Amino acid sequence: MASESDSAGLVKVPGTRTCRAILGCLLVLLAFGCAKKDAQRAPALTDEGARSVYTVNYPLAYFTERLAPEGIGVVFPAPADVDPAFWKPAADVIGRYQRADLILLNGAGYARWTRYATLPKSRILVTADGCRDPFLPTGEGVIHRHGPGGEHAHEGTAFTTWLDMRLALCQARHVRDGLVRLAPSSRESVDRKLEALERELSDLDSRLRATVKVWGERPMLASHPVYQYLADAYGFQIESVHFEPDEALSPEAIQELDALLADHPAKLMLWEAKPLPETEQRLHDRGIITVLFDPAAQPPSSGDFLTVMRANVERLACATKAKPCP
Amino acid sequence: MRDSLFLAWRYLRHHRAKTLLLVLSLSVFLGLPLVMRAMSAVIQESLMARAESTPLLLGKKGSSLDLVVEALYFQPKGIDALTTADANEIDQTGLALAIPMRTGLMAQQFPVLGTSLDYFSFRGLKTAEGRGLATLGECVVGAEVAASLGLKPGDSILTSPSTLFDLAGVYPLRLQVVGTLEPSHGPDDRAVFVDVKTAWVAEGLGHGHQDLATAGNDVILKRKDGTATANAKLVQYNEITDENAESFHFHGDPSNYPVSAIIVVPNDDKARVLLRGRFVNDSARQLLRPAQVVQGLNEQIFRFERVLQLIVWTVGLATALMFVLVMVLSWRLRSDELRTMTRLGCSRWKAVQIMGAEVLLMVGASVALAAFFGFVIAQFGEAWLQNLILRGS
Repeated sequence: MASESDSAGLVKVPGTRTCRAILGCLLVLLAFGCAKKDAQRAPALTDEGARSVYTVNYPLAYFTERLAPEGIGVVFPAPADVDPAFWKPAADVIGRYQRADLILLNGAGYARWTRYATLPKSRILVTADGCRDPFLPTGEGVIHRHGPGGEHAHEGTAFTTWLDMRLALCQARHVRDGLVRLAPSSRESVDRKLEALERELSDLDSRLRATVKVWGERPMLASHPVYQYLADAYGFQIESVHFEPDEALSPEAIQELDALLADHPAKLMLWEAKPLPETEQRLHDRGIITVLFDPAAQPPSSGDFLTVMRANVERLACATKAKPCP
Repeated sequence: MRDSLFLAWRYLRHHRAKTLLLVLSLSVFLGLPLVMRAMSAVIQESLMARAESTPLLLGKKGSSLDLVVEALYFQPKGIDALTTADANEIDQTGLALAIPMRTGLMAQQFPVLGTSLDYFSFRGLKTAEGRGLATLGECVVGAEVAASLGLKPGDSILTSPSTLFDLAGVYPLRLQVVGTLEPSHGPDDRAVFVDVKTAWVAEGLGHGHQDLATAGNDVILKRKDGTATANAKLVQYNEITDENAESFHFHGDPSNYPVSAIIVVPNDDKARVLLRGRFVNDSARQLLRPAQVVQGLNEQIFRFERVLQLIVWTVGLATALMFVLVMVLSWRLRSDELRTMTRLGCSRWKAVQIMGAEVLLMVGASVALAAFFGFVIAQFGEAWLQNLILRGS
């Protein structure tokens, strides 16, 4: 059995080592206390970095590109083949929106995904807010009752606000406010750019008003319920159906159209995209002219938002005989 | 001196039971006031640090301490709720950022906090694994929640039913864990974070169900004039997925949805003063500085601690006297042993040295033990004591 006093006569007794250990313990205790205090200090609220503005549709992206000063990137990340109003971005894309310096929403219930996505409220700007109250209802949705909540309906709100050029102008002004908030030193240059955009949108507004003066209250049809604000702003009498431009009309669709024409004898139909030739022929057989009026929710293959809108107005003016056709 | 220490050490080893008893009672006498003081200081500092990092807090008029305790430390106190309109009002002033907080829900014994993304940057919370909140129905869990429940991204956690015996009440919502947070050494470690809209769904203010326009007749009681009345068969979702997320909706005016408290982060000192001025005469709401409220709580803790210390020191004095008595009696019992040592040639001074070394070793061991327990309690007892103080406040 080993003795605590060996041949060298050394004895293992608690001495300076123990004292050091105790001191160490106390120091560690103190250090933990300090570390915790530091960890709970509030962080800085802002972080520096490249500035980016994310939008939920092309018109807003266009307005932002037109108005933005240098050093601000504009991103509209929806794929080209989807309608941004019904697009469902993946979590990583939502993450990119979350990191943006400014998130421009359209408002009026546009981009349904924003209702259930988690976005930083402090960086969101709803461009149509305050431009119109109330927004137009789609008139669709079942009124229903279940559970203790009472009767209610999930009726939607019409969201293609920018087809009313005055609403578009109001949205552009809100985009300007967001950009100025982001880059206060660029206020003057942004304001100058806004003046130019205002002139162009006002010009389109005047031309649409001139068109409706000629066309009057004659009925119109629309292939999809997206022209509510165009109809409301300029006084077009538009009834909508749900026809897809790349699909042939089914017998049920023809039946629905004929039933609608009995009450609403339209001679002109607005389409979001060019319909199939057989669809055009069937409509032509009923005396209906098709007019392409692209809402431009997605970037066009050539030109920009204003060139698309100018072309829309040209075609409408030509079809309504408000202006000679080119 | 070394030989004295050796003899003392051998003596103490031989009388293990007596030595252990004396060391334990001495370590309690030495450790208790030290531990109490250290713990109290750490807790007061940690409470104060949390409060000081929260510039202003808006809540319904009532107990300011309850408001601070529920909003900052997530201890349910049943405070009255504000509405989102109050948060919007703060935002619209342009003087501050409003961070809404919805408390009161629990998920497997841990508090659920419904808030906005700004909360994470405000508190400096960083994701350890997975990602942050992206959509309705997702949650991010604090470090302690993740460790206790073994949660990782991809798992799920159920909210606790708010009405256990109410069959028509709100059923638990399954939350998808999308991320875990790095430890922040505060109440955020013990919380489950969701979007404030998710908290409203969990409370039953929003819900998702199958589309009534396409639902079968077995679900519909009657259809009349565009109105469909559903029966109890209507499938209501208890989990929000990519497929059904769009069906979730809220009824009523969104500006009336409840918010337990709002963290108000003023742009600068001038904005802080202006905001405080606006709420001075508000009869329904209070805008307070949490540090001021926690200072009051700390003063109460300090007063209580002084009374407790008086008791502890009295007990300690009795223990010290007992120790002295035991040592004196022990030396008296050892008179024969000391006499033998003297006859063997040991001087009286050497005998005193040996006795002194015994006392020194026992006191040294007691200090080491007290420091060790102090360290352990400071590590693991802080959260427990903090909960005890906040629950009882």
